[in-house]
Amino acid sequence: MKPFATIRSGGAASWAIRIVVGVLVVYLMFWIPTSASNGVIDSCITALTLMAAAMSLNLLLGYTGQISIGHSAFYGIGAYTTGILVSRYGWSPFQTFTFAFVLAFVVGALVSLPALRIKGVYLALVTLALGLVFPQLVKAKKLVWLTGGARGLDKTGFRFTKANPTYEIFGWNPWGSLRGENIKPFLYWIAMIIVIIVYLACRGVVKSRVGRSLVAIRDNDTAAAVMGVNLAVTKGIVFGLSAALCSLPGCMSAIRTGNVTPDSTNITIQGSITFLIVMVVGGAGSLWGPIVGSALFVFITERTGDWSDPKQIPGILRPFFDWSHTPPGSGIFAVMLIALMFVAPFGIVGMWRRIVVRFVRVIPKPAGTGTLAPMAAAPVEA
Amino acid sequence: MELFLQRLFDGLSQGSVYALIALGLVIIYRGTGHLNFAQGEMALFCTYVVYQCGEWGISIGFALIIGMATGFVLGSITEVTLIRPIAKKSPFAVFIVTLGLFQFLNWIDGAIWKDQPLPNSGVGSKQQSFPSLFPNKDTDFVNVFGAAIKKQSIGVFLLVLVLTGLLFLLFNYTKLGLAMRAVASNAESAKLVGIRTNMVLMMSWGIAAAIGALGGVVFAGINHNVNLGLMFTVFIYASAAATLGGFDSPGGAVLGGLIIGVVENLAAGYADQWVGQELKVGVALVVILAVLLVKPSGLFGTEKVERV
Repeated sequence: MKPFATIRSGGAASWAIRIVVGVLVVYLMFWIPTSASNGVIDSCITALTLMAAAMSLNLLLGYTGQISIGHSAFYGIGAYTTGILVSRYGWSPFQTFTFAFVLAFVVGALVSLPALRIKGVYLALVTLALGLVFPQLVKAKKLVWLTGGARGLDKTGFRFTKANPTYEIFGWNPWGSLRGENIKPFLYWIAMIIVIIVYLACRGVVKSRVGRSLVAIRDNDTAAAVMGVNLAVTKGIVFGLSAALCSLPGCMSAIRTGNVTPDSTNITIQGSITFLIVMVVGGAGSLWGPIVGSALFVFITERTGDWSDPKQIPGILRPFFDWSHTPPGSGIFAVMLIALMFVAPFGIVGMWRRIVVRFVRVIPKPAGTGTLAPMAAAPVEA
Repeated sequence: MELFLQRLFDGLSQGSVYALIALGLVIIYRGTGHLNFAQGEMALFCTYVVYQCGEWGISIGFALIIGMATGFVLGSITEVTLIRPIAKKSPFAVFIVTLGLFQFLNWIDGAIWKDQPLPNSGVGSKQQSFPSLFPNKDTDFVNVFGAAIKKQSIGVFLLVLVLTGLLFLLFNYTKLGLAMRAVASNAESAKLVGIRTNMVLMMSWGIAAAIGALGGVVFAGINHNVNLGLMFTVFIYASAAATLGGFDSPGGAVLGGLIIGVVENLAAGYADQWVGQELKVGVALVVILAVLLVKPSGLFGTEKVERV
């Protein structure tokens, strides 16, 4: 089939689309905390937290091709850093972000040292072990004085007093009431800022020279080394950066729930698996993939959250799910993951791109200016 | 001394379970070069099937056979429908599919059995605890040099030895075993000399899952219960065992499993303040890291030469 339209990247049409999409995204960004119900805002915070974590993992797996099933550990480092500094040393939660970032960067870079020699599924094993060890480490007897053991830490969130200022913008307060019981919009904005930071960081890395060397490492690391990519330094920095970015949503979770326990879902190994699954379903190796995947994941899990009670299942779906004793969210996503690997290995975003190019021909900018062709997380038709 | 022997035998019986799961991993890895992340969850599913048989009043021995048969069918179907078509695309895709399978099996276990009264609660269930293959009452001890060793530990250990022996016979003295070794050594040449490689791979996955089922049942018996998180740590110990023994050596996997089990229990026992029950799983991390960094092929694995 012939494409209906041709769009030149960087041309007027392309900018028009960008501006329209940008305006829509920004509108939605502001609409949610100001007009949506508390439940929706809460779901959005969950989705945003997941997005940031999945994006950081995407930098490592989608672009560099290094499998990590241990990102829950970095998430946990963020949560525990904030938790410990706030509850034991009385820091303000905002101050802890930088500290967690640096700490996670160092730990991530250290983990990358063996990753220089260990590849593929073996790296997956090492990181899986790391993800399993972390929740146990914070329970260890020698660390109870710091981490609170199995009970975890509490009072890790904001303590709102009259002294907390309200930042009004032209008489309009997008944060919601800081002093009242409703601090959801405030948390929403923290999460949103984290997601924007992580997105910009990933975008900055991916669209730069470094990003191209990452893709080169992913597709063939020997060839990349031959072409002058310093494997050790690049891998180390990307691993560190990915870990550091993943710690930010961790910090956020400590602030949000006001407590940190080793058993909270995203700190256990289940968290790593969720990050990985939403990232791959959304589209590994594309900037929007993790965003789409996380949003969809939260939408499905929240929608099906009460389906363990058959009466809650909408009529037409009831025969399919009424035997289930648990909400089918994770099962649906697992099936979707496997099915997508067969029909669209690049996830939903990859599938979308493939459909779009049927109808619209996009002429990319000349090579070297940073457009990224839709690519897989690994060479597919090798 | 008594304490040491007790810990040693506890370690051996737990190590036996790791050895069984690791054997499954190795058999699959030899055939296809893939690491099956869903190995533990496949075993868990079969363990739940055995539990369900117990609820229906089927004796544990017969239930075990049903469970292993389920494992065999599950493994072969997985290979034929999921792994074989996707393996042509990329190893990464296989990894993701096994991970998806992991998630799916764990969910479906919960979906089917979550609200059932599980044997660890004892309330409402016909079974007081998960049925064990071996006598495991508080009085079932054997005295060895003054140490009271559980009959169950000895039984599990012997079971693994017997199974390893049987597998050895299978690999070395049967046509199927020969074919499996041929496929492991070079799949394409094997195909050329007329071995039905697809059949062999299907059988490998089936056998691996069946062995895993046995491991799951034994482990549930040791723990007296079955739950959704039963296999998470077992899987990582088993991978550590397979790494230690060498990913393409069944004997190495068994030995690796036993070593890991013993080391883990001794470390938890003697370094109580530092390792303790919490950081046991750290042993697995350290072993995997150390082996991969020092001798990536493991103790008995064949060294791979990579051509650029």
